[in-house]
Amino acid sequence: MNVFKSMGAKLAVFCLGAALTLSLAACGDQKAEQKAADKPAVEAKPAPAADKKIKVGFVYVSPIGDAGYSYAHHQGQKAVAALPFVESSFVESVPEGADSERVITNMARKDFDLVFTTSFGYMDSTLKVAKEFPKVRFMHCSGFKTAENMSNYFGRMYQARYLTGMVAGQMTKKNILGYVAAFPIPEVIRGINAFTLGARSVNPQAQVRVVWTKTWYDPALEKDAAVSLLDVGADVIAQHQDSPGPQEAAQQRGVYSIGYNSDMSAFAPKAHLTAAVWNWAPLYVQTVEEVKNGTWKGGQAIWWGMDKGVVDVAPYGPMVPDAVKAKVEAKRAELKAGTDTVFVGPIKDQAGKERYAAGQKAPDADLLGMTWFVEGVVGTTE
Amino acid sequence: MPALRVIKRDEPWRGGALAIVLGALAFSLGAGILMLAAQGKSPVQGAVVLWQGTFGNVFALEDALRKSVPIFLCSLGVAVAFRMQVWNIGAEGQFALGAIGATWAALSFPGLPKIVLLPVMFLAALLAGGLWALIPAWLKLKLKVSEIITTLMLNYIAILLLDYLVFGVWKDPTSFGFPMTPEFSPAAILGPIGGTRLHWGFAVCLVAGVGLWAFFRFTLLGYELKAGGEGARVARYAGLPYGFLVGFVMTVSGALAGLAGCVETSAVLGRLQPSLMAGYGYTAIVVAWLARLEPLPIALASFLLAVLRVGVENLQLEMQIPAAYGMIMEGLILLSVLAGQFFQTFRLGRREG
Amino acid sequence: MDWGILVALLAAAVQSGTPILFATLGEMLSEKGGVLNLGVEGMMSVAALAAFLTAYFTGSPWLGFAAGGLAGACLALLHGVICVGFLGNQVVSGLALTILGLGLTHFFGTPYIGLAAPGFSKFAVPGLADLPVLGGILFRQDALVYVSYVLPVAFWFFLQRTRPGLAVRAVGEMPAAVAAAGLHPLRLRLFAAVAGGFLVGLGGAYLSLAYTHLWTNGLSAGRGWIAVALVIFAFWRPGRAVAGAYLFGGVMAFQLRLQATGTNLPSSLLLMLPYALTVLVLALSAWRGRGADAPAALGVNIEPEG
Repeated sequence: MNVFKSMGAKLAVFCLGAALTLSLAACGDQKAEQKAADKPAVEAKPAPAADKKIKVGFVYVSPIGDAGYSYAHHQGQKAVAALPFVESSFVESVPEGADSERVITNMARKDFDLVFTTSFGYMDSTLKVAKEFPKVRFMHCSGFKTAENMSNYFGRMYQARYLTGMVAGQMTKKNILGYVAAFPIPEVIRGINAFTLGARSVNPQAQVRVVWTKTWYDPALEKDAAVSLLDVGADVIAQHQDSPGPQEAAQQRGVYSIGYNSDMSAFAPKAHLTAAVWNWAPLYVQTVEEVKNGTWKGGQAIWWGMDKGVVDVAPYGPMVPDAVKAKVEAKRAELKAGTDTVFVGPIKDQAGKERYAAGQKAPDADLLGMTWFVEGVVGTTE
Repeated sequence: MPALRVIKRDEPWRGGALAIVLGALAFSLGAGILMLAAQGKSPVQGAVVLWQGTFGNVFALEDALRKSVPIFLCSLGVAVAFRMQVWNIGAEGQFALGAIGATWAALSFPGLPKIVLLPVMFLAALLAGGLWALIPAWLKLKLKVSEIITTLMLNYIAILLLDYLVFGVWKDPTSFGFPMTPEFSPAAILGPIGGTRLHWGFAVCLVAGVGLWAFFRFTLLGYELKAGGEGARVARYAGLPYGFLVGFVMTVSGALAGLAGCVETSAVLGRLQPSLMAGYGYTAIVVAWLARLEPLPIALASFLLAVLRVGVENLQLEMQIPAAYGMIMEGLILLSVLAGQFFQTFRLGRREG
Repeated sequence: MDWGILVALLAAAVQSGTPILFATLGEMLSEKGGVLNLGVEGMMSVAALAAFLTAYFTGSPWLGFAAGGLAGACLALLHGVICVGFLGNQVVSGLALTILGLGLTHFFGTPYIGLAAPGFSKFAVPGLADLPVLGGILFRQDALVYVSYVLPVAFWFFLQRTRPGLAVRAVGEMPAAVAAAGLHPLRLRLFAAVAGGFLVGLGGAYLSLAYTHLWTNGLSAGRGWIAVALVIFAFWRPGRAVAGAYLFGGVMAFQLRLQATGTNLPSSLLLMLPYALTVLVLALSAWRGRGADAPAALGVNIEPEG
């Protein structure tokens, strides 16, 4: 039944990076920022009294046990729940649309102080509820709309992808890297591009082949997709999927793999080189502390990178040689220090056309709406 | 040898339907609450939280009313077909097609005044849903292909078609590459009724429900369909060819599901995106059956099922019970109703001798 | 034409089609006896969980395999009791079973997500694996696939050449005649449903023991519904079921490989292929006059006398 596929498995996880204010020339958002700029006084409730606990709610789009996207958010929730002044709860597997609006409204009615809505598809619902409940604070993951009491946030996962690409590029012998991807949305495309750029920075011969599964979560299909890539010669499999299916396929064939969302080495200890992982705890904890101190501001577009610890790579597998690690660590140190040179030109697209000249850095707005592949990627963006 | 035997009742047990549903609900709730205990949660607290999230809370009831709109419309459609024993499992896909049709109208004519655009959208949705249902009907009549399978396969295809459209030609250029159509113009939105949280889709439900009830009550065809039974028999008494009837019920069935799709897209989402699909088409089958394929009970049953869904969400929020719990409850309710319905037609008696 | 890629594609088709084949034959058996069971999706799901847990706790994949079958049989028993005993509508009961089955799987399976259990791995059959072309496709699979090669033959033999099989077929065609012959139609129906459920359960077990060795939610992913469709596609004949299952698995594998080799076709359209193909083949077969051999009493409950 497709319904259950939708609810439980095939859940859209459209994570968009938040656009910086300049890029959002569209009226609504501009007004919201101006309002926020004109009225620095916080519209939301004043900081809760010192002895009262802060109620923080989380809305997840898939089951937390999926070891993937929602699981990663949930680890952040646990960090928040561990804080002594916080009372936190969550609702999982909430479909986007009417259901999410109801769940978020429910939390607002129950006097939650802060609500995190962790999927792109919750954007319109979060905004609607935010307007109805001006005293509640909302943090929406990966959207582009804001309000006085609503900010959006995301992480620069592409930085981690770049690093994993560097590992893959050095470990491949056949120069064919396989990528099992869910949906052709900007975040996924951006990740593939960063991966490719990273791989080709250390191995200009490397080629990345993409297979779309059109599902976030179907372990068997994802495994099949990985096998199809293995059959055309790929010897490293990366994924933008929420199940470890592709990892398993790689291990069974005796080749390498790159995980996603969390460290997937438990599923494929012989194949797992590293993974591009989320670490939401720093962002969540800081947000909650801002609420406690009364310094939280709405209307923000927050896009944190490796320098804040929101994304990173998982520990390297035992099969990764020191020389490979050294190169990657050097770049990682740069990123952690705040120097982001992932999407700095010269960058050409699949057709060979130059998109960014040497030294030119792609603006965030371009990254957020990225729908084309860089040179070196074999596959369509449809 | 057992001392009981099964006897067919001379007349179906009239009050039985209600008693059975209540009994099924009681049984399922009881079993469900006990299951909580198996997971280490307090059944008593579960019951309290469930109550608070459903009837103990006006907001929850309001939410449930909103949620029951698409379920109700799809269910009406399913009932029409099921009465003739045409097993339309395709409400989900017809729902999608209706949404697609309405979206096409909304995106093609955003400047039209609301009084014109909304009816055009409705019409487009009715046509799209109806036609999508006509395909399996045609296959059934011309080639004797089972409608169970064709409607099911068309569900998958319909959803993929929706994906294709929102990822491709209908994608909003300002949505940063995300699969969604541009927001509908205000003229295409079915708004809220006065200051309430209910939208005008509710009115659509009333019209459809009353219309169908009147159809069943006052027309010969409706009467025969209401009597149910073997499809060919219905045709004979209604004086219409079987083929026409199959086409008719499927079209109506698909049109109603399509209407639901239009209402949800316009009133709740305001644009077309994949998250529109929430399994209403399948829930509708459960509801239609629980309600014995009659309009008024369908209204009640869709409301009750929506209430259950909303209540289970509260269980998630307050007690961190997994979302799948609601599905278990639905399945149990349906199975126990099925078992209970046996007693409407039969009773147990003592074996002679 | 790169034979290597073709062989790999067909081998993938076989593996992809195997769980569907088990499930299709199971549903076919149930339907031959007159019981339509739309709960296959839920049954496969629960069976996958049961198989996984058993293999996980006992360390034996074969026990897990059997446990999956048993789980499927139990759910089918529930359906059978409702339909055969309580005369519940078969269509609706099956749907309820799917809902219940999926719910139970998610509810009880969540704590085990991400764990691995001992399962079945591919191995080459000595001798046969070296056959040109066929060797690579058919004989480098896991043990359960080899079991599935024998199954259709056993199925056919049981139904066509044994007395119990004849009785099952008869109760699906004309229950009254069965009663007149002194047999018990209700018990036969129940048997068909339960035995069919066992096979469906084996298909579910394949998913968590051979297809992947991990537990994750959503393993069945709609395959149960495909199996229901394939029974009709197969005209209730085991041979065609094999063709259908591998064809379906093959189309899925094919569109993935098409993408891997680099194509410009939109993936949404490619993904429609298996479903559209099912409808197309059904229509074509019917058009060419080979009517469906649906058991005459399929879906019609047997009312008690008196």
